[in-house]
Amino acid sequence: MNDSTSTLEPLFTALSYSFTTLERNFYKIPGSAVVARYVKSSHQNDPGRTLLEVILIIFAIRTLLQSRTRADNSGKHFIQFDEKEIDDLVEEWTPEPMVAPLSPKEQADLASVPVIVGPTGPKPKLSNGKTVINLASYNFTGLAGNEVIKERCIDSLRKYGLGSCGPPGFYGTQDVHIQLEHDIADFLGTEAAILYSQAFSTVSSVIPAFCKRGDIIVADRGVNFAIQKGLQISRCTVRWYDHNDLKSLEYVLESVEKERRKKRGPLTRRFIVTEGIFDLDGAMSDLPKLVELKFKYKYRLILDESVSFGSVGRTGRGLTELYNVPASQIDMLVGSIANGLTSCGGFCAGSNIVVNHQRINGTSFVFSAAMPPMLSVAASEGINILRNTPSILTTLQENIRAVRAILEKVDCINIPSHSVSAIIHLQVRLPSPTHLTPQMASVTPTSPKPSSPLLATPREVVQFDHELEEKILQDIVEEALAQNVMVTRAKRLRGQELQEIRPSIRLALTAALTKKDCEKAANVLKAAFVKVVGRRR
Amino acid sequence: MPSPIAFNPSSPSRSMFRKKKSINAMSTAASYLSAVSEADARARIQNGSPTSTPALSLSSSITASSEDTILDESEDNEDGLTYPSVPPTSEQVFTTVHTEFGHCGNEAFRFTSGHPLGEPVKVIHEQDPPYYILLTTYISYILVIVLGHIRDFFGKRLKPNAYKHLMFQDGYAALNSDFDSFYTRRLKLRIDDCFSHPVTGVPGRTIVLLDRASPDYNVTMIPTGTKTRALNISSYNYLGFAQGKGACSDAVEESVNRYGVASCGVRLEAGTLDLHVQAEALVARFLGVEDSLISSMGFATNSTIIPALVNKGCLVISDEFNHASIRFGVRLSGASVRMFKHNNMKSLENLLREVISQGQPKTHRPWKKILVIVEGLYSMEGTFVNLPKVLELKKKYKFYLWVDEAHSIGAIGPHGRGVCDYFGIDPHSVDILMGTFTKSFGAAGGYICGRKDIIDRLRISAHTGSYAESMAPPVLTQVIASMASIMGVTIIQDKPASSSLSLLRSSDASDLTITEPPSTTYPGNAPSTALPSWISLPPTLVDGSEGQMRLRRLAFNARYLNRALRKLGFIIYGHEDSPVIPLLLFHPGKMAVFSRMMRTRAIPIVVVVVAYPATPLVTSRVRFCLSASHTKEDVDTLLRACDEIGDLLDLKQGQGERWPLKDIIDRAVELVNMKEMP
Ligand SMILES: Cc1ncc(COP(=O)(O)O)c(C=O)c1O
Repeated sequence: MNDSTSTLEPLFTALSYSFTTLERNFYKIPGSAVVARYVKSSHQNDPGRTLLEVILIIFAIRTLLQSRTRADNSGKHFIQFDEKEIDDLVEEWTPEPMVAPLSPKEQADLASVPVIVGPTGPKPKLSNGKTVINLASYNFTGLAGNEVIKERCIDSLRKYGLGSCGPPGFYGTQDVHIQLEHDIADFLGTEAAILYSQAFSTVSSVIPAFCKRGDIIVADRGVNFAIQKGLQISRCTVRWYDHNDLKSLEYVLESVEKERRKKRGPLTRRFIVTEGIFDLDGAMSDLPKLVELKFKYKYRLILDESVSFGSVGRTGRGLTELYNVPASQIDMLVGSIANGLTSCGGFCAGSNIVVNHQRINGTSFVFSAAMPPMLSVAASEGINILRNTPSILTTLQENIRAVRAILEKVDCINIPSHSVSAIIHLQVRLPSPTHLTPQMASVTPTSPKPSSPLLATPREVVQFDHELEEKILQDIVEEALAQNVMVTRAKRLRGQELQEIRPSIRLALTAALTKKDCEKAANVLKAAFVKVVGRRR
Repeated sequence: MPSPIAFNPSSPSRSMFRKKKSINAMSTAASYLSAVSEADARARIQNGSPTSTPALSLSSSITASSEDTILDESEDNEDGLTYPSVPPTSEQVFTTVHTEFGHCGNEAFRFTSGHPLGEPVKVIHEQDPPYYILLTTYISYILVIVLGHIRDFFGKRLKPNAYKHLMFQDGYAALNSDFDSFYTRRLKLRIDDCFSHPVTGVPGRTIVLLDRASPDYNVTMIPTGTKTRALNISSYNYLGFAQGKGACSDAVEESVNRYGVASCGVRLEAGTLDLHVQAEALVARFLGVEDSLISSMGFATNSTIIPALVNKGCLVISDEFNHASIRFGVRLSGASVRMFKHNNMKSLENLLREVISQGQPKTHRPWKKILVIVEGLYSMEGTFVNLPKVLELKKKYKFYLWVDEAHSIGAIGPHGRGVCDYFGIDPHSVDILMGTFTKSFGAAGGYICGRKDIIDRLRISAHTGSYAESMAPPVLTQVIASMASIMGVTIIQDKPASSSLSLLRSSDASDLTITEPPSTTYPGNAPSTALPSWISLPPTLVDGSEGQMRLRRLAFNARYLNRALRKLGFIIYGHEDSPVIPLLLFHPGKMAVFSRMMRTRAIPIVVVVVAYPATPLVTSRVRFCLSASHTKEDVDTLLRACDEIGDLLDLKQGQGERWPLKDIIDRAVELVNMKEMP
């Protein structure tokens, strides 16, 4: 016993020594006396509290440390180098050039972009001095250049200045923004709406605001580029269904449900993401069926109406008006103020919960300046005009019919767009058998095996010669321009889009042109198609 | 140089009002006007001959029009915001509206922003608060978190209806689970009255708040119908171009008449107007580089153009405090990302050495390219990037450099050309200069500048060109007019003389002497041929003197407030020349109190408070954004408010010598002009 005490003695001294040093050092830290006194007195009053506080402090320290940890060189792939070796490696490394130079074709593309001198509208003047019929600009309802809107804009310019000079959260929300949000919600019949300052950045921000890792999105294979980017950034699980094929959608919804049951996974948020009228080809979704499926399988619906808002329906409210589906049944209805109301920006309409959620989580809403007040006044006035003048939309539909009547009959033109769509895609149909037209492809019985929902590319890929068709279409665009009709190829980032998109000429019709002008333009186009395609024979 | 907005034809009676300081705060427009005319009368007597005195006319001093809110009798001036506390002498002809752009005729209140050439860039060490502050900050967070959880626990059981949208509901998972939204519901909601406050009118020197009240602890906000005019220290309006009156607005009005409001398309399809081409050329010239590309949203400039430069196999090295738009863009690009400590060049260099030597993860193949992305002026920190050092590293490590000048363009540098200008660096040495028009130019959208081959590639390959709507004509006009007025315009007489001369308002044209040859040097004037022929600008804008005045007023205000707050003992982050000034509060609870106390003062002031997640957890702060439109008196007002509230909230935790408030205000000019702050 005595023996063991004597052997332990140095240990005790060492312990007590280190304890006193620790204590002394502790008191050297500025402010530590306060802490010690505080702990002592509180401990006397309530020992339980000390425990709680210690836990809290540990928690605090843990959070502190956590935020500092970073992925560093502890990985197993790390190779140790000495300074000299690093210097040599740095010396050796040659980066690729910043950008690849433009190819001659890209240069030609860039050079061929028309420049409008003065205001845009149904008949703008181009930099080559010509006045042309414009079937390229998004001016469906012909609001561009409207005198009433101009007047209201100038009034608001004097009252608000031009820029909003701040994000909506920090004194950038003007009363006119609130007014426009209210107007849009009221126009569509939803509880609320939220404004984004660029149409393209709207849906790519709406999707990640709701869909997180682990959530499931079922999307159309033909969704536009902005949606693709939104899906990419949300990092959720995406399943694909065939373009505008609701049978395929149902199949995918079934298979997702089966998969979940098999895995016994938890119920996550599930969304269907699609477009009203597709930017890709002008095809239109069957909204009632879509809504039925969404309710049946308990999905939420994100519907991008960037093309259909302001171009279809009796007063331009979009697909919901056309099909008479209450907009409140669509969980997130995204639209473009830039296209639909010829101003700028985009919106997302939905319930109060959906909208308020975005006010905190919509990245491009939170971190960007609110749109210029003047432009939201222009949009409010636009809605006002649409409400009160249903004849605009009637004229637009007449123009669409007039143009289609002429172009549909042409052999070498294939129109995949829906008959009410104000954007009309014209694909070239070449007579040679090597070029399978999509029409033929859709006539051939679809293979019994559906495409895999995991892949963005469908099983049946339509074959076409991209370069050749693009060249032909560009020639047609230029031919039409020579006859004073401005049209444009649909510009796409080939290679960045999910799939290879068949080249097309995208017409955007407008109510601002007379039927006669539209027919004239369509005839010019027809002649251009016949001439250019004929040359190829 | 005489200031053009405060046009002061060197008269001896300038200091006349020094003695009459007691006339402050005029309560109505009528009393203001009578004070002006009295002053005018006195000046006449003193001067003997009134020849040098412009006739007193309302329109010369304050732009008045019938619907002008400024002369609206219903708005009183008890808060001293509507009219200058010191009425102008009649020699001073102010062409701006005081509520939008303050009248400040004193040439001493000017400064030139710029880094002394040849001197090394000082590394700013951020002051740490005493430990008890940190500790109590953590405790207060823990307290609200614990309380929040307790309330959720009972709430879910007692008031299930209120939680319905956070729970599973007939087969739907919650849109926003109670866990994900905890921070919003339990922390942010408590101080929600400080955010998203609706406003009306020009966000200039002052702003009009639409008052609101909440009957249910910020869950719903109900407008009360009243309005409050407040001093605006929150908007990104660095050069004061947020104006409803003035030459830029006149130009915008003209453009609305000519162009309407939309360009109706994307750039590569049919959305390119001549204005786009002109604006891009002007922006490139402004920045001193070959070419530029304009996009209709600042956020999208980052988020849609970064993916065109880097992709898989490339590495992006990003400052840890980079803006959300940059992170968004980088994530879309598919490139790998590494972060370095905020503005810490040592950390950047170490990281560069590591990533270049290691190559790509796993394969160890060399990186295709490395892009370093930094901001010129960090909007939450007030720090300038240490550009000289970054460029030194760039030479050695061969990375490409992207500088986001959203906040620095226009706001710093002797010529307002951003960080390159501030540090005296050739803009060509930076590969990509990105910036926005939202802040200094009172417009919207953003730009990318650089070598022509890079910009051409981006026109074709970035998302913007093919998919995003192009910028609207009125916005382009605001960009052109404001930028031209900062640069100054050289009139170039081409054959049809009338077209270039129409740049000048016809009545003023006779005053102008054409002396300077067209210069293409950087930072030089814009040739009149670069502007749309229908834009007419008054002489003060053409000769660039008004632009200079804006730059110099902003530089003075920024340095004054920065130094003054430090002298008062606050903990201030960032660079002394930064117009964004973060004042550290630490405690989350103090944010709301600070903001409310500022807003409810006799002279209401609006400021922005920010906390986690925009800043690190402990360093909640209030952020002041100064503007050229603020007068020295406005900064004094702000200082008085900060001083009082700072004492109440125990915010003065900074080290270093302190001055009493009165000294600071009296010795402002001396304080600003000191080389080093004592
Ligand atoms: C560094 C930075 N980049 C980009 C942006 C986005 O600019 P905008 O508001 O014009 O969309 C901001 C705005 O807050 C910013 O601070």
